[in-house]
Amino acid sequence: MLVIENCRLTWPDFSANYTMRVKSGTLCAIIGPSGGGKTTLLHMIAGFEKPESGTLTFNGQNILPLEPAKRPAAIVFQDHNLFPHLNATQNIALSIRPSLRISDDERSSIEEVLEAVGLKGFGERKPGEMSGGQRQRVALARALVSGRPLILLDEPFSSLDPGLRRDMVQLVDDMRRRRPVTILMTIHTPEDAADLADQMVFVADGRVIASDVPAAILGGSLAQKIAAAVSNT
Amino acid sequence: MSRKLPHPGSLVAFAILALVAGGFIALATAGGERPTLFSIGPYLWRILTFSIIQATFSTILSLALGIALALALARRRFPGRNAVLALLSTTMVIPTIVAVFAVFAVYGRSGWIADILSFLGWNGSFSIFGYPGILIAHVFLNGPYVARILLDSLNVVPAEHWRLASALGFSPTQIFRHLDWPVLRAELPGLAGLVFLLCFKSFAIVLALGGGPSRSTLEVAIYEALKIDLDFGRAAWLSFIQLAICLTLTGLLNWALTRPPTAHTIRGLIQRADVKSRSLKLFDGIVLVISTLFIAPLALSLLSGLSNITEIWDGDLVRAFVTSIVIAALAATIACILALALASAARRWRIVLRSPRIAAFYDFLPNTLLAIPPFALTAGLFIVIRHFADPSSAGLILLPIINGLAAIPFAYRSLAPQLLTTEERYGRVAASLGITGWNKLGIVDWPALKRPFGSAFALAMALSFGDFGIIALFGGQDLITLPYLLFENLGSYRLDEASAIGLFIVAIAFLLAHVSGRLSYAGD
Repeated sequence: MLVIENCRLTWPDFSANYTMRVKSGTLCAIIGPSGGGKTTLLHMIAGFEKPESGTLTFNGQNILPLEPAKRPAAIVFQDHNLFPHLNATQNIALSIRPSLRISDDERSSIEEVLEAVGLKGFGERKPGEMSGGQRQRVALARALVSGRPLILLDEPFSSLDPGLRRDMVQLVDDMRRRRPVTILMTIHTPEDAADLADQMVFVADGRVIASDVPAAILGGSLAQKIAAAVSNT
Repeated sequence: MSRKLPHPGSLVAFAILALVAGGFIALATAGGERPTLFSIGPYLWRILTFSIIQATFSTILSLALGIALALALARRRFPGRNAVLALLSTTMVIPTIVAVFAVFAVYGRSGWIADILSFLGWNGSFSIFGYPGILIAHVFLNGPYVARILLDSLNVVPAEHWRLASALGFSPTQIFRHLDWPVLRAELPGLAGLVFLLCFKSFAIVLALGGGPSRSTLEVAIYEALKIDLDFGRAAWLSFIQLAICLTLTGLLNWALTRPPTAHTIRGLIQRADVKSRSLKLFDGIVLVISTLFIAPLALSLLSGLSNITEIWDGDLVRAFVTSIVIAALAATIACILALALASAARRWRIVLRSPRIAAFYDFLPNTLLAIPPFALTAGLFIVIRHFADPSSAGLILLPIINGLAAIPFAYRSLAPQLLTTEERYGRVAASLGITGWNKLGIVDWPALKRPFGSAFALAMALSFGDFGIIALFGGQDLITLPYLLFENLGSYRLDEASAIGLFIVAIAFLLAHVSGRLSYAGD
């Protein structure tokens, strides 16, 4: 269980205060207006932003004092996930050992995960030789290989076209069957994840406004509440 | 404008090519006894060897200082960091002859270092002439420039990569290998080529600090052939060889500079994950201290002129100042108008006549001007007009032309993109309203062009104002510019006067460069 209690962050022009819970093994979609604090929430969990107060625990362990590299989380950004001078295999290998000195066993597990994301035989390709969707698959593969129980996806598919986006969410859903992971994913278009996510969280103005099953968030009176919240921001 | 007349840009291109060709044909056919290439072979070989060695070492040292300084500044935040960054950009505008003064003031026979050593009781003497002085001046001018360029490139690394580096737990070595090194590797060939070319073409620094006939570059050798020996045949050979080498180097440079487009930047300052490493802290500390010890005295020596600035005001100085400003203004006018004509020709071929290949020729022409060594070109033109004018009037004609030609690439760079933008935005509207020719320039283009034009003009003036190049050939009783006056004072070791004149030149050049920068940024 990921538990966030009253985590406060302040900047001159923006402040946030997050409280939410995500059960282990959940695929949790985070929606909300842009500039509302979705990315900040993920960056805080990953350790790039430090809250001034509040608690952040994962499976009972306080992870706030940990450096990003020591946290149980792997992160995938919307763009620039791969180093352009390294090929797909090397980019994935970074999450096993940043020195890139990997054993044969590790190499074959990278090949396995490349196959799982539909990129069999792409190991030697550099990011410049792949499409945007393929690059994001490599980034997902790296998050999978890292063995970290928490996977944070920050608008990972926003720059892809709708059909491809749908496939990618399906792929993310499949990842959960390969090993028990908790996935937090910010998305632009809630429909993409409506039927696959177990939990949907609405973030606006630096706060978690609502957290429930997707059907409850996207339909009924809650939708009006959210619309009201959006118009206030 | 009648449709029968060729475009002004075509005329300008033709005129430039004719001028350059005329200069070299005049050189090739110059009368008098013509030495063979073989007869000047040993002399040429000595100069070439020296030029290549000094340019190689200047390049290596400038890059070493630039890389270390860029990395240290990328990793560290300290009070005054912004001032240091501003200082780094300014060394680009310091005229070479002023840099020569700085080297004299700090490392010269009666400079600061000599003073300190004698205060400590050391009686020996050392000479800065030859390699030491030349290398110090070249590294002083180019090292900070390299640092500034590299620092800007290092800042282009996407924020996501820095977050990944800390999420994946990169060590400082791995950060260097995966984040910094790919950026440096992409920039270094171009920078190395540029610095090498600048040092290979170096004139004022080598002339003043070379300290011997065999320790000269081809530019200095051409100057000596023309001014001292009046040996036009030798000047011709040297000019052709210089031209061939510089064109080759520029060609290689263009080839090295085609690099993949960089990723866009993400807002916000990123905390680098390697700032906590103890050994890196120590290393960066040492780099910053050494750089400061090297750059600061040279930069500060320019301020030493403050105390003497009231004593240099005399007729000569005022005359030199007026001459310099007039030449600089003429050069800037030539550069901006010719660049505008070329850029509008390029635009016409690209957008209206849909011939990108001819447009590319117009884009390429300004860059080739960078490769043409001024002394080689001047040598030919001087031979042409020496029958009609005495040296000082010849200088008054040639200085604005040569300085103007040298500034065209810079003016072109700020004018051409703006012209393309206005065409894309308003080209169709103007065409449907029938606005063409000069009317189009006045109504459609000029409002958007004013700022870049002003910026280019100020920069061209700054470059020409501080230039100590072919004025060395024409300067004398009747024609004195401020840089020439500074050179004369340095030659006779009048360091107090030199310091004040140097400060004066730098102040004006900075002012012009500042105006240029303001005009180019504020427009966005």
